Amino acid sequence: MKRKLITLRRIFKSGIKNFFRNSWLSVAATAVMVVALVIMLIATILNVTANNAIAELSKNLKVSIYIKEDAKKEDIETLKNALVTNEYVADVIFTSKEDAQKAFILSFQNDAKLLEGLALVGSDSLPASFDVSVRDLSKIDSIGEIAKSDTYKNVVESVTLGKTDAKKTIDRAASAQSFITLASIVAAAIFAGVSVLIIFNTIRMAIFTRAEEIRIMKLIGATPGYIRGPFLVEASMYGIIAGIIATSVVVAGVFALGDKIATQAEFSATYELFTNPVIIAAMYGAALLVGILVGVISSMLAMEKHLKLKHW
Amino acid sequence: MRVNRVTGNSYVTFAIMISSMILLDRVTKNYNRKGTALKRITLHVEPKEFVIIVGQSGAGKSTLLKLLTREEKPTSGKIIVGGIDYETLKDKKIPMLRRKIGVVFQDFKLLPNKTVFENVAFALEVVGMSNKEIRHTVPRVLDIVGLKGKEDSFPGELSGGERQRVAIARAIARQPKILIADEPTGNLDPKHAWDVIRVLEKINRYGTTVLLTTHNQEIVNKLRRRVVTIRDGQVVSDKARGEYHEL
Repeated sequence: MKRKLITLRRIFKSGIKNFFRNSWLSVAATAVMVVALVIMLIATILNVTANNAIAELSKNLKVSIYIKEDAKKEDIETLKNALVTNEYVADVIFTSKEDAQKAFILSFQNDAKLLEGLALVGSDSLPASFDVSVRDLSKIDSIGEIAKSDTYKNVVESVTLGKTDAKKTIDRAASAQSFITLASIVAAAIFAGVSVLIIFNTIRMAIFTRAEEIRIMKLIGATPGYIRGPFLVEASMYGIIAGIIATSVVVAGVFALGDKIATQAEFSATYELFTNPVIIAAMYGAALLVGILVGVISSMLAMEKHLKLKHW
Repeated sequence: MRVNRVTGNSYVTFAIMISSMILLDRVTKNYNRKGTALKRITLHVEPKEFVIIVGQSGAGKSTLLKLLTREEKPTSGKIIVGGIDYETLKDKKIPMLRRKIGVVFQDFKLLPNKTVFENVAFALEVVGMSNKEIRHTVPRVLDIVGLKGKEDSFPGELSGGERQRVAIARAIARQPKILIADEPTGNLDPKHAWDVIRVLEKINRYGTTVLLTTHNQEIVNKLRRRVVTIRDGQVVSDKARGEYHEL
């Protein structure tokens, strides 16, 4: 047990020493990995931002289905069931005639004339309605279609599809989001690929420079793990350092930029989320994990190809 | 019984098997392109023996040593070293085998950017020895090979003979049962060659089996030790107090 610990410590020490010995290659490998990780983090943040903004805007976007005065109770129930069971429907709120009246009075309580007029027309002049919110904005029309269909022509007076200007904004945000997602996946993949290549090359060079040492190590009875270990440690260090730098840069960016837009309703939830210490810690964790993974995979590829530990 | 599977015959062989430090039983090694390097070699070496293997270059000496360190596998035949049967030895256990065998090469194979101390310590670090033990062991081993006080020198600052003695120190630091010295004097002038040979004899006196290959006639003839001559991949003579004359 003690020997294993000593060996482990030696492996780490040797890996860290090698990292500093190949300082220029190490800097290059780390820098490219930083770029890849920064892109990945920014992509995630933009994605969440867009999602939250769309969700915030969507709150205003509902299908309002107005019920006919003479609609039968069971027909209304059937329509409600159809809506509630629809997979794209998030929520259905029923507003009775009385509630509609109350809400109307409440919102126009400062307008005495209007209220007088309403009293004149009678208390049941406003129709009952369903306010339907949807999970997926692209499906908002199809929900409208359900209500407009012949099945419910005895129930439904008319259908309104939210505010059109809000819908346009959301559409734009949604298409921007999918573009950002795609572009960032492509960019992150390219840079991740480049960092794999660079780390592969760095480790390959390290193997070549230490070829004699490795040969001697084999002959004096070093285990494959003892020979491989330092290279894995070295490659993981690129990931660790790159992960720390990348996350720090991105978090600093969030604080600097987010401050200015956090007051807008669409962004406040996002800003709160990404300034939460738990989430920041999670971002560090994720970036380190990805960095180490990329480093370890690249160095394993290089060792597989150049270390020749199979012919022991 | 295991012995019958090995040699297919006598109890005499069994006795040899269990008492041998090194046992080769009808070992053949074919290389794909170069043809046959060793032809049905049978050899056994007792514990604490000092054996010199002679033969011209290309006779198969190096192949023989590579089989013993398991850098090569025999095409056929049985190899048992220090009780380890190579046939059933798993690749994973090869490092453990190498720890029991010390090897010294003609070209020393020292790490030029490490000091004498570090070069010897290297072999001990590999097996997980603590720094304290290493600091204790290295000077003792360097004392045995006569290099006390040279701890902080780099190999480049030493003579060939001194470098070879560092290599020997590295090979014996872990107290292996067997020391294989492959042409250790090949690059040395006679005086330094003898320094190295004296160290090998000293180690042998301490109880380590020594296997030495050389084609230095003077050394072979003065040592008066067991000499195994290999020619064209076969053992052509095996004498207890042998001599060697180039043909």
